[in-house]
Amino acid sequence: MSEQFTRREFLQSACITMGALAVSTGGVEQAFAATSISTPNTSGMPTCDVLIIGSGAAGLRAAVAARKKNPNLTVVVVSKIMPTRSATTMAEGGINGVIDFSDGDSFASHAKDTVKGGDYLVDQDTALKFAEYAGAAIHELDYIGMPFSRDSNGHVAKRFAGGAAKKRCNFAADKTGHILTHTCLDDALKHGVKFLMDHHMLDLSIENGNCEGVVLRNIRTGDIAPVRAKSVVLATGGYTRVFWNRTSTPYIATGDGAAAVLRAGLTFKDPEMLQFHPTGVCHGGSLITEAARGEGGTLHNNLGERFMKNYVPNKMELAPRDIVSRSIENEIREGRGFGHDMEAYVLLDVRHLGREKILRDLPQIRHIGLLFENTDLIEKPIAIRPTAHYSMGGIHVTSLDTMSTTAPGLFAAGEAACVSIHGANRLGGNSLCDATVTGKIAGINAAEYAAKADFGAGKRLNDLTLKWISHFKEITGSSTGNTNDMYALREELGAANWYNMGIFRTESKMLELAEQHAKFQARYDALRIPNANPVFNTAFTEYVELGNLLIASRAALLGATARKESRGSHYREDYTKRDDVNFLKHSMVTMDESGKMHLAWKDVVLGQFKVEERKY
Amino acid sequence: MKFIIDRFDGKKNYQQTYTLEKKDIEALTLLGTLLLIKQKQDITLNFTASCRMAICGACGVRVNGHAYLGCDTKMTELFEEYKDADTFRISPLANYTVLSDLVVDWEPAIENLRKIKPGLVAKDSFSEKEGCVQNQKEYDRIVKQWDCILCGVCASECNKLTADRSDYAEPFVFTQAWRLANDSRTKDPMINTKAAVKNGLWNCVHCHECTNRCPKHISAANDIAGLTVLALKKGLNSGLGPAHAKAFHTDLVEGSGRLNEIYLALRTEGVSTVARTGMAITLMRAGKMNPLEIFGGHTIEGHKDLVKMIEAAKAATKE
Repeated sequence: MSEQFTRREFLQSACITMGALAVSTGGVEQAFAATSISTPNTSGMPTCDVLIIGSGAAGLRAAVAARKKNPNLTVVVVSKIMPTRSATTMAEGGINGVIDFSDGDSFASHAKDTVKGGDYLVDQDTALKFAEYAGAAIHELDYIGMPFSRDSNGHVAKRFAGGAAKKRCNFAADKTGHILTHTCLDDALKHGVKFLMDHHMLDLSIENGNCEGVVLRNIRTGDIAPVRAKSVVLATGGYTRVFWNRTSTPYIATGDGAAAVLRAGLTFKDPEMLQFHPTGVCHGGSLITEAARGEGGTLHNNLGERFMKNYVPNKMELAPRDIVSRSIENEIREGRGFGHDMEAYVLLDVRHLGREKILRDLPQIRHIGLLFENTDLIEKPIAIRPTAHYSMGGIHVTSLDTMSTTAPGLFAAGEAACVSIHGANRLGGNSLCDATVTGKIAGINAAEYAAKADFGAGKRLNDLTLKWISHFKEITGSSTGNTNDMYALREELGAANWYNMGIFRTESKMLELAEQHAKFQARYDALRIPNANPVFNTAFTEYVELGNLLIASRAALLGATARKESRGSHYREDYTKRDDVNFLKHSMVTMDESGKMHLAWKDVVLGQFKVEERKY
Repeated sequence: MKFIIDRFDGKKNYQQTYTLEKKDIEALTLLGTLLLIKQKQDITLNFTASCRMAICGACGVRVNGHAYLGCDTKMTELFEEYKDADTFRISPLANYTVLSDLVVDWEPAIENLRKIKPGLVAKDSFSEKEGCVQNQKEYDRIVKQWDCILCGVCASECNKLTADRSDYAEPFVFTQAWRLANDSRTKDPMINTKAAVKNGLWNCVHCHECTNRCPKHISAANDIAGLTVLALKKGLNSGLGPAHAKAFHTDLVEGSGRLNEIYLALRTEGVSTVARTGMAITLMRAGKMNPLEIFGGHTIEGHKDLVKMIEAAKAATKE
């Protein structure tokens, strides 16, 4: 070590000498105008024309679309962290979109697969438009620089994704999401989009039915301030973190948008629709991709049995995601798993594929095994369990044409939104094109709206801000509270949600969970954070996020309890059949000022495709 | 085991020591260890993390001075690398402004990215409606550089940035310029090459430390070298950087094969190098520079072979 340091020191002194030589052909230009939204206005509140919350693919595409639509507008992307740390970046498989019609594929076929995949809880007119936009999006992404893998003709390469009739899942190796994110960031920088990093949206203000802006906390300084905006786009991602450690999504995807919308009196649609993936690592839920089973990986219980033979003997491990998930969870529940409680698991074995094949075809999966389970897949089977993967439900958006919520000036996009593309179950490859397509539409419409709209008065926004300022003081000001209190509560909430409204749902367990939620809420309300420093107080960020997760949990539970049927990812052991007579409907959850939640139903838009049994 | 963490609360810097049992962290990653400290011992400790599977780039920190991606580093690897150490020092990434504890300011880096003109400007034959065409070979050429996750590890290791951040950008910025300039779909590679030159490309000191620790095994140093070659090829050969490079070439091929420090300075800076007399005297006193070299040095052994190698390399890289 000392040798390395010496070398480093030497190099550093060499650099200083080089600096003295001033070998330079032009210094780094002065940083471009500071990223500031503090344009003064009569009210003294900062303003911005189009304010986008969230910097995943949806947020970044919205920002570019808004700038392109109207270059005179200020477009600012707010992010809790540096952009590109989003859930988008974690997507691997690919992005659906028909660009090759030579094998008989069509937009209608993509739409049909999407509708069927979603177990018919998909608005069918939306699915058709979505499929068309998705095709166009692929060419557009290629044009703005996304490096897709290529076929022999130099066109974008495509593969099969689950539930698809044709090959239409376009990909960039096994890191399509990562590459999409960085393409979107580049494009946003190119188009002059400004960023407000390390800013957290605490609340959203709706006055007289219109969106007038958001309350932002500058995490860097701790300042809590109102920002008025002519239009706001919520691209805050999903809320699968309600299961805390049993999800594949990033720590930061905590349903901030959905919770803010509920607090503002707007609607959260289909909150009970949460997708599970069969194979997440036991510790922390990171994804082991389908390729592990696709290549021949086998699943085993504590009896050493390939238990899938008891569930789907003709398909074994390659049965659909939801069935494999339920089978694994059932093995654990009936005592044939390993470990216990939230650390229970079954084994995924790929050893028989041999060292060479594992190193060549499954290197990423092996790496994840080493990181999370300390297990080398070449030598040992790995501990896995289903993991929550995607939120089909989200902020209610009235139409794919505008991606507008019911409040003028407020738009939503990507996983945060629910315009009913995915229904009760999302198809593989449809999430990235959802983010790209809905982001762009939201951006265009937000810009159009902003060009015509005036700023709101901001009175309610001001009140909300004052409330949050005193809230911060109250929560962090006293020296009471233990370090572990909040984290323990978060783990318990995740576990309770997992066991009572996870893969298996029944009335009695969900009623029990409702009581637990009330207790969790009381504990949450009494929480105090032993850190009064306003500067980068990440504990307070986590505190706010946990509050949002509690709200999202309650909404999901309300929907799941009321939906007395099984459909897509929503599986009721007491109602195992789909019930189209009573539940071919979206659940629409709202919250009143007292915090009580209410449920209404909205018919699914049908008309293009016949509602059939979902069978593969 | 002890973990000494460099802390900053917004006003003052200090160090804080946390004690953990080795058995409790053996199966964890570096990020897992930080989470354990925050969640069990000290809620005030600040750092950033998001995906925990080495793709979002949020959790870069330094251990004993060197940068690591927290979620991609197993504690057992650190035990192995720093044999028998019972104390680790954890610090924020170097060459960034620290906002709090292990959290650094990414804003200037993002603005530096903006300066190399990110975003493809596609050839006129391509369109937004129909996309582009690219063969597998052309794709393979740039795809490694697209693995960059903006974790900042290379920037933390960069000795040039440590010396002076004012006239240089983070190594990953140049990697991103390289991948655009070398994309077969681009209308003009000079868009990004010129921008890279303008933003300090020639100031790289070729120490290759950025390459050493990149979690994705990308060599920013090679990308920087690639961009300088492209710049020279396209006639961007004025200025001190190209002159400095040419002086090396002259000594190696036409000269003795040994770098002549006196001529290097003269060829790079011309007469204004007189201002460096003081440094020259210091170098001579330390025995680092022989004043007699002004009359030319003695030719190295095997000089002919060296020239052959350089010519072969030139021929191999000809377009």
